[in-house]
Amino acid sequence: MEARRYAACLMAILWAGFATADDQLNVVGAFDVRWVHSAGELSYLDGGLGTLRFDPDHEGLRLGRAFMASRLRLSDIVTLHTVVDAYGDHDRNPVDLSEFWVDVRPFPTNAIRWRARVGAFHMPVSLENRGAGWSDVYSITPSALNTWLGEEFRTIGAELEVRWLGASSGYLGDVALIAAAYAWNDPAGALIADRGFAITDRPSTLFGGLGRPPITFYHEMDRKPGYYAGLTWRRHDRLEIRALRYDNRADPGASTAAGGGAWRTRFSSFGARLEPTTRWTFIAQYIDGDTAIGAESLGYDQFLMRYHAAFGLASLEWGRERLTARFDSFGTHQLRGFFGPPSNETAHAWTAAWTHDFDDHWQLVTEWIRVLSRFPPRSLFAQPSSLPETQTQISARYRFQFGGRAWGLIGGLQNN
Amino acid sequence: MSHTVSSGCRRLGASGRSAARFAIATQHFANKIAFSWLVALIGATGCSAGELAVTVVDRLGQGVSEAVVTVAPAVPRAYRQSAATAIMDQRDLAFTPRVLVVAVGTSVEFPNNDTVSHQVYSFSEAKHFQLPLYKGVRHPPITFEHEGLVVLGCNIHDEMVGYIYVTDAPFFGKTDSGGMLNLQELPGGDYRISVWSPIIADPSQTLIHNVHVDQHETTTSRIQLIRELRARPEPRPRRTDWAY
Ligand SMILES: [Cu+2]
Repeated sequence: MEARRYAACLMAILWAGFATADDQLNVVGAFDVRWVHSAGELSYLDGGLGTLRFDPDHEGLRLGRAFMASRLRLSDIVTLHTVVDAYGDHDRNPVDLSEFWVDVRPFPTNAIRWRARVGAFHMPVSLENRGAGWSDVYSITPSALNTWLGEEFRTIGAELEVRWLGASSGYLGDVALIAAAYAWNDPAGALIADRGFAITDRPSTLFGGLGRPPITFYHEMDRKPGYYAGLTWRRHDRLEIRALRYDNRADPGASTAAGGGAWRTRFSSFGARLEPTTRWTFIAQYIDGDTAIGAESLGYDQFLMRYHAAFGLASLEWGRERLTARFDSFGTHQLRGFFGPPSNETAHAWTAAWTHDFDDHWQLVTEWIRVLSRFPPRSLFAQPSSLPETQTQISARYRFQFGGRAWGLIGGLQNN
Repeated sequence: MSHTVSSGCRRLGASGRSAARFAIATQHFANKIAFSWLVALIGATGCSAGELAVTVVDRLGQGVSEAVVTVAPAVPRAYRQSAATAIMDQRDLAFTPRVLVVAVGTSVEFPNNDTVSHQVYSFSEAKHFQLPLYKGVRHPPITFEHEGLVVLGCNIHDEMVGYIYVTDAPFFGKTDSGGMLNLQELPGGDYRISVWSPIIADPSQTLIHNVHVDQHETTTSRIQLIRELRARPEPRPRRTDWAY
């Protein structure tokens, strides 16, 4: 058995070697080790009510994230994308798949370009997570809004994009319409109803869970597919505006034999990213929606919660440095339902981050986050309902690429 | 990017034809690529040529750099198709140069000096093509047989935009940082100057100017734009870990 596994590994490595030779396989990855200092309450990841990833019981030297994002070219227009993650935090699978999708992108023959994605992937909402493997390029931890999208959502289905290539035919930039149908997203909403928003760089993986006891997110309970539809306008990569409507169309009365219920979750999302000069980036995003569980016939006993989150970010980049400041504001409001005190959360947070690139591989990121939140369920644990939490992280990140840098040099020499 | 234009002049015997040879040496980053082409001017006599200095300025009088300037005789003549070559490179997720001006018939090579793949395409009327640029795979150059503007895109990186301006004018170039372009070895006569740039918003009919070039003399032409320039469309330089 072991021998067979090693043989399979060897085959995979050999195949990867051949595939990278003509750039058929491209892999980027990174791992980061952090020193963490925390002043706050126990993180929800460890069974507490804290909104940050680490807490005073989980400080010191920690693995932040190790990931590999690969792109395998199957043909000129078809590529297979895979993101594999390890967070080193006792998740069910120490190494797990986060995204896995096939991208089909025919060459445009006129100003309309079609594109399809089929598989499991993040919906196109976050304007912060633009790095390989959905990593945040402005700081370590994305905003509360995008943290939540990474935690509870993955499009497991198909997405179609039709883009008017204005930039290639005029000067107004591109306009894209996006629509997706998906399944296996019925538990989405469970986490925000239970805990409110959080600010972590710990998205869920496809087969893992979050919290104690862990909540798992990718199940189908009512055999009803969900959808999202969105609009993107991009002007010369200097301004990007996105709007999206999400509705998982879950039947809130449906549940599984295992006891999990379906959460009907819907939201509207808006975002804009402005890059007026080569140095400055400004991002603002807003989300507003609700989630419900329990059959409609329960009336006022059905649990129904509204939520909203917004943030504004400014980032300045020069040479090997990047400075980012962000203000988050978020809250939940329970409209109906009966369990416990109303889990209304009102919170805001400040984030400051400094990124320094030593070279193409090594990066040092220092991040400070302070969250001030009011969350009445804390009273059940004999805590004041309003609490500040602070987390400081210094992360050393090593990034690697194959089918890239080394081969790029050879390719460059060949081309000249 | 700077262009230095040097010229030689040569009599072609009693046939009354003369040929002007232009050699444009382009400093292309680490590599020096020299290319030249031959234009045969039919009907011009002798080797008595003039010079034309074109300046393109915006509404406030500031020079407009990287503007394409083409100069064609007012009375059209026949020219041999160019057999020149040129390079449109890919660097830091951008077409380099952003704007390339070539004669009709020029073959353009598309190397890829990035660590990522590109898939260049154009659906412009002057040239339809699709060109996957994978690492370590060389592609034959693409020949541009028809005049017109060819807008380049990348199917992987939607923010990449480049332009190849294909002209049948015998004299052309791009303005320098001061908005200047010097053209030499023009036979005396009437010419039509056309200006183009992705950032120039003026209507195209106002961007055509007639000029008379005297033999042995330097004629200057100053073209002032009437509309405000558009924002430069180039994308920001991207860090490599942002794309793959
Ligand atoms: Cu590209």
